[in-house]
Amino acid sequence: MSMARGLNHPLLQRSRSVGVVLLTLLLLGLVTRPIEAPAWEIVKAGQPEMNLEAIEGSLGQGLVIGVLGGFRAVMADFLWIRTNTIWERRDRVKLDAMVRLVTTLDPRPDFFWINGARMIAYDVPNWRIREEGGYAEVSEYRQLAIDLEQAQQAFVMLARAREFHPENAKLYLETGQIYLNRLKDNVNAAQWFLSASQQPDAPYYAARIYGELLRREGKDVEAYAYLKELFQQLPDDPYAQKPIILDRIKELEDHLEIPVWQRFVPVHGPLPEPIMEGTKHPLERVHEHHSCDGHAH
Amino acid sequence: MSEVIRSISRIRLIAGNTFLEAVRQKFFNSLLLISVALVGSSTFFQQFDFGTGELKFVTDFGFGALFFFGSILSIAATTQLFFSEIENRTALTILAKPIYKLEFLAGKFLGAHMLMLVFTTVIMLVLGGILYWRESVLMARMGEAFVDGRLIRYSDLLVFGLLQWMKFGILSAIALFIASFSNTNLYTVVVSFFMLIICQLQYIARDAYSTMEQGIGQWLVRVLGLIFPNFQLFNVGDQLVFSQGAPLPAITVLQIVGYGLVYTVAFILLAQLNFKKREI
Repeated sequence: MSMARGLNHPLLQRSRSVGVVLLTLLLLGLVTRPIEAPAWEIVKAGQPEMNLEAIEGSLGQGLVIGVLGGFRAVMADFLWIRTNTIWERRDRVKLDAMVRLVTTLDPRPDFFWINGARMIAYDVPNWRIREEGGYAEVSEYRQLAIDLEQAQQAFVMLARAREFHPENAKLYLETGQIYLNRLKDNVNAAQWFLSASQQPDAPYYAARIYGELLRREGKDVEAYAYLKELFQQLPDDPYAQKPIILDRIKELEDHLEIPVWQRFVPVHGPLPEPIMEGTKHPLERVHEHHSCDGHAH
Repeated sequence: MSEVIRSISRIRLIAGNTFLEAVRQKFFNSLLLISVALVGSSTFFQQFDFGTGELKFVTDFGFGALFFFGSILSIAATTQLFFSEIENRTALTILAKPIYKLEFLAGKFLGAHMLMLVFTTVIMLVLGGILYWRESVLMARMGEAFVDGRLIRYSDLLVFGLLQWMKFGILSAIALFIASFSNTNLYTVVVSFFMLIICQLQYIARDAYSTMEQGIGQWLVRVLGLIFPNFQLFNVGDQLVFSQGAPLPAITVLQIVGYGLVYTVAFILLAQLNFKKREI
């Protein structure tokens, strides 16, 4: 009698109902798995990857609306504006999380990747060095360690960006710029400028800078051969700046003491007029604009 | 057989009345207006964009508005329509007649689901219209970028609308299931929203824990992944609508529709399980 009363206790009845519901949903999950799994495989392949690592540092930043469904591009734009506010406040922990969140939400615009990498590689090291007492106080060894650490983070970010944009020359150039401008590492920078120059949308200056870096590294013979080949390959477009390349070839010939009869003679007709001072190739202008858009560069 | 036909007729009557009641609500009309205005103004919001293409931005904006306001409407309308019958005691009158509780629930669900059909159709038509207009302007301006024809697959925009409607169906059924044992409107709405968030984000947890070592944590996440339906499965707008990518196979669309139908029916039956024990 008391046993039957115990079984009919409201709490037990409620627990039984909950158990039945959970068990039903569990079975339903198993039954629908053959339909869901193949469809999910296809759907997932076409969506930007979203993982816990990318979002855990930014919970509460409007993330839920962003990741719930649509609005991802829109949320990414608004979160980028917020990222700039955080950048102004020099909150480097939050900045890192926000940049990761924005690029996770919308990995398509290269703008987020490039500017995020610049903030991490150029600005954060300055903040960290100032936090530790400033450039006068912090040893050069420590400064270099900070630069390397931050550059490494930016490289990881740019490597992820290249997964989404494998042929985007700007992303290769950015890695090269960080090696060149922040780490003063001409050897690695040269490799990245070379990779950038091999991309379909590469600006002309990428190859030219590669040649220049070879020269700076003392690889004059290699630089001479490369610039000669480059000159032949470039179109007769004023923006290709062929006269500048020819000047560098001549400088190298003087430096390498190449006999007159072996010197480079352009096979093409008259050289294009060098573009007037102040006018630049659109890509160079974009590049310079990006370089001066408020970040230490 | 005639009993089945009579049952269907009763469900149809309840659904029709529920739908009429729903479309007369100010909440529905204002939400529809806000959504349409938001989708319509997407070209204005594009000035906040940092590099996505215009058509992509407008599409994202439209899909976002559909998801955001559609989810609110789906949960709030279903809950409101269910509790209005309970609070006004009209449910007593209805159920006193030879109407089964399952028929009552099915009628309520279908009424709310028809409301969502109207909402989804209006938003998709507005979005389609704006996309067509913007794409035509872009085609006139930059013809060389459109040598392969239009970038948007407009018929697939409707397929996407259908899939979103299916998702709203599961959401309505979940709200109905929670309402079947809940005593208040607010509790139902809040719990339904939590369910929505879990269902939408469960795939992140599933992915994160799929790589971890065997253990209680992994089993727990696996079980949770089975208990909650995967709403991210319906998020196929980019794959469906843009012609640059490979189109979503028809079999995948059918699988998603089937998945949605199974969960919708299951949650209505679970709601019936609770509701039949409930004293009104």
